[in-house]
Amino acid sequence: METAAIQTHGLTRRFGALTAVDDVTLSVAPGQFFGFLGPNGAGKSTTIKMLTGLLEPSAGTIEILGQPFSAGALELKRQIGVVPEGMALMGRLTAPEYLRFVGRMYGLDKATTNQRTDELLEFMHLADESRKLVTDFSHGMQKKLALAAAVIHGPKVLFLDEPFEGVDAIAAGMLKSMLQGMINRGATIFLTTHVLEIVERLCSHVAIISQGRLVANGSLEALRAGVQSTLPGAEQEQRLTLEEIFLSIVGAGGVQESAQELSWLA
Amino acid sequence: MVGIDGAGINGAGAIAADGGMFGAQARAQYAALARLRWEMFSHGLRSRKGALELGARTVSFVFYAIGGLALGVGAGLAAFALTAGNQWRFLPILFWAVFFVWQVVPIMLASFQEQFDLGILLRFPVRFGSYYLLYVVFGLLDVSTILGGLCCAGILVGITLARPALFASTALGLIIFAAFNILLVRSIFAWIDRWLAQRKTREILGAVFMVLILSLQLLNPALHKHRNQGNSAPLGRNATKEQAQQKIQEYQRNKADFQARYGPWLGTVNEVQQWLPPGLAAKALQQRVQRQRDPASGSALQSGPLQSLGLLGLYVLGAGGVLAARLRAEYRGESLGVAPSRKKVAASRAKSARREGAGLLDGPGPIAAVMEKELRTLLRTLPLLYAIGAPLLLVLVFSGAFIRNGPQAHIFPLALPLCIVYAQLGFTRLFYNNLGAEGMGIQLYFLSPTPMRTVLLAKNLFHSVLFGLTILVAGTLAILRLGEPDGVVVAATVAWLLFSLPANLAAGNIFSLTMPYRVNPGRITRQGGSQANALGALLAQLVAMGLGAAVFGLCWYLDKMWLAVPIFLVLAAGAIVVWMRGLSNADAMANKRRDSLIAALIEKGSG
Repeated sequence: METAAIQTHGLTRRFGALTAVDDVTLSVAPGQFFGFLGPNGAGKSTTIKMLTGLLEPSAGTIEILGQPFSAGALELKRQIGVVPEGMALMGRLTAPEYLRFVGRMYGLDKATTNQRTDELLEFMHLADESRKLVTDFSHGMQKKLALAAAVIHGPKVLFLDEPFEGVDAIAAGMLKSMLQGMINRGATIFLTTHVLEIVERLCSHVAIISQGRLVANGSLEALRAGVQSTLPGAEQEQRLTLEEIFLSIVGAGGVQESAQELSWLA
Repeated sequence: MVGIDGAGINGAGAIAADGGMFGAQARAQYAALARLRWEMFSHGLRSRKGALELGARTVSFVFYAIGGLALGVGAGLAAFALTAGNQWRFLPILFWAVFFVWQVVPIMLASFQEQFDLGILLRFPVRFGSYYLLYVVFGLLDVSTILGGLCCAGILVGITLARPALFASTALGLIIFAAFNILLVRSIFAWIDRWLAQRKTREILGAVFMVLILSLQLLNPALHKHRNQGNSAPLGRNATKEQAQQKIQEYQRNKADFQARYGPWLGTVNEVQQWLPPGLAAKALQQRVQRQRDPASGSALQSGPLQSLGLLGLYVLGAGGVLAARLRAEYRGESLGVAPSRKKVAASRAKSARREGAGLLDGPGPIAAVMEKELRTLLRTLPLLYAIGAPLLLVLVFSGAFIRNGPQAHIFPLALPLCIVYAQLGFTRLFYNNLGAEGMGIQLYFLSPTPMRTVLLAKNLFHSVLFGLTILVAGTLAILRLGEPDGVVVAATVAWLLFSLPANLAAGNIFSLTMPYRVNPGRITRQGGSQANALGALLAQLVAMGLGAAVFGLCWYLDKMWLAVPIFLVLAAGAIVVWMRGLSNADAMANKRRDSLIAALIEKGSG
C-alpha cells in the first residue's frame, strides 16, 4: 500500500469550550491535488495550521510522508512548503532579500538560493519591484511572493491557505499552471479556498468540513455521484457543479430567508 | 434613482448627521468609542496575559504618579520660593523646565506607551472636527501631559500660596501654556510618523537623527573643555583656610571671566526666549506682578500681560494648525504606505537585481541569514534606531552632572559606568522583545526547519555586536566628555558588561517568547506596547544593575576596586550558563506558546 502524503487520525483542536476541529481523519495520497472546503469558521485554517506546525492539536495525530509530524519535526519541515493565512512575509525586506532569507532558512546553498530567487521573481513578475519593500506591495503581489517563498526549497507537500485571495485573473492563471506543473512532477498540494471554480478545475479530491467535523471526503466524481443519488428522479441526470455539491452537503440553511429579513436594505 | 437615503442610512433609527463636532451623531460616536475602549479593556482581562498587563499598568501608574507628584511638588516649591523671594527673573527657567519635561518625556516613553491608533475611525462617517478632538483628547492621557499638567498645577499652587492675588492671571497663563504643550507634542509625533511612513524621508530622518546625536555628543566636550579652562582641582578634606580663600577668589575670577565671555551671548538668549512660549508664559506673569507693584504706570505696561498671553495664544493656534494640517491629510485618506515608485529600464533592473543579490553577510546557513535580516530590518525600522539612540542623547544631558570644573579626574569616579548603564537602556526593546519587529514573519520561524534556538542565537549574536559597538561609542564619547577614568574602573565596567549582557539576553529571550508585542516599524508613536513586558524588563535590568551597584559600592567602600573584576567575571560565567540553558529550552518554550506568540505579533498589530 502506498504511503499517504498527509494522514490525520482524530485530529482535534479545542479553544476553551469551543471545539474548532473535531476528530478529523483524512488521507491525501502522493501527487494528489486536494481541495479542503468549508464555510467561514468551519475549521479550515485551524486544520491547516495544525498540519503545518503553527498550532498544537488538542488530540489526534498527523503524519506527513509517512512520518509523525510535530512542531519539532525539523527534517520533515524541509519537505513541506506553506502559504499560511498571514503569508509569513517580512515587511521590511525587499522581495529578493526575503526569498534569499527563506532559502537560507530552509538550508539551501547560496548559489541555489540566488538562482531560484531570480527565477521565481521573474516567473511571478516581481523582478521589476526588487527595490520595493514587501510592506509596500499590493495584496496580490504579497500573495505571489508568499507562494514563491513556499516553493523555493522544492517541497514535496505544499499547503496553501487561500492562495488566490486578492490575486488578479492573469496572476491566478499563472499560479494555477505552476501548481499543476508541480502536481505533474509528483508533488502533493493541500489547498483551502472559497473559490469553488478553482477547486473544481484543479483538484482531484475534495474534503468538506463544517462546524469542525469532516462531512465529505473523496474524489470529486464520488462526491458528485453521492449527492446526485440523493436527488429526486430527473434531477439525478444533471451534472452538478461543485457549488451545488457544496451547498447540498453543507446546507444553504435559511440563506434566502435571512436576506429577505433585512428589509431596510435596498 | 434609489439613493442611500432610501436605503435606510438616513431613515428611521438614524441620528441626524448635522450639529458639528458636538452634535448628536458626534456624541454618539464618542460614546461608541468609549464603549469600544471599555470592551477592549474588559475582554483583555479574560486572558492571563491581560490580567498581567493590568497589574503592570497599575504598578506603572503608581510609579508615574509618584514621579508626577514629586515633579509637581518640586515645581510648586520652586514657584513658591521664586514668588515669595521676588525672583521673577528666574521664572522662565521654571517654565522652560516644564516645557522640557513635556516634550522630552515622550521621547523616553514612546517605546513603552500603548497608544490607540485613531486611524481606524476613518472608515466611519466621523467629522474632521471630531477626529481632531479625539486625537487631542487621547493625548491628554499621555504620561508627558499628565506630568506636565501636575507641574502646572504645582506652579499654580506655589504662586497662589505666595501671592493669592495672582491666582487668576497665573491660571490663565498656565492653561494657555498647557494647551500649547499638548498640541505641540501631538503635532511633533504626528509629523514624525508622517516622515517615517515613506522610505525616502525615513532614511533622511534616520540619518539626520544619528548625525544629531553624534554631533551633540562631540560638540559638548568641546564646549565644556573651553569652559573648564583655568579651573583647578577641588579642595580636599584637609584644605586650609588660605586654600579655601584662594578657591573662592578663583571661583569669583572664573565667574567674572565667564560673565565677560558669555554674558552678551546669554543676554541674547534671554531676549530670544522671551518670545518663545515658555518665556512668554513667564513674561506675562512678570508683567502682571510689575503692574501690581506700579499700578500708575503707562498703558504699555498695563497691556503687557495681555500682549504676552495673546502671543502665546498665537503659538497655540500655530501648533494647532500644524497638527490640523497633518490630521487633515490623514483624514482625507492619505496613503502613507506607498513607497516612491521607481521607473527602471531593463538594464538598470538587471544591475539593481545584481546589487540586491549581494548579501550583507554572506555566511552560510540560518545564523548568517537571520543576522543579515536583522541588520536590514534595523536599518529600516526607525523606532528601533530611535530606541537605541534616544538614551545616548540623554547620556549627553545627564553626563553634564558628572563634569567637574577641572582638567583631572571626575567628581564621581563611577560616572563612566553610570553613563554606560544608561546607554544600555536603549537596547531594552531589542533584548526583551526580540521578535516584536517580525510581524507576520514570525510564522516563518515555525514553518521552517530552523529551530527557534538558532533564530534566537543569531538574534542574540547580532544584538551583542550592536550592543558592543554602541557601548564602545558611548564609552569613548563619555571619556571625551568626562576625561580619562581610572583603569580599574574601566576594567570593572567591562567585567560588569560581560555579566550584564548575557544576563539581559537570557531574560530577554524568555520575555520575548512569553510577553511579546508587535513593533510597528513605520511609527514611533501609536505602538501596541506591553506594560507587562516593559515593567518586567525594567525589573530584570534593575536586578542586573543592582548587583553591579552593590559590588561596585562594596569594593569602593573597601577601597579595593580591583576586586570587582573577578566578582563580575564569576557572575558573567553564571549568566552565560543561564543564557545557554535558556537557548536550549527555547524550542520547547516557543512551541508551547506559538499560538499566543503568533497572535500577539500578527493579530494585535493588524488593527
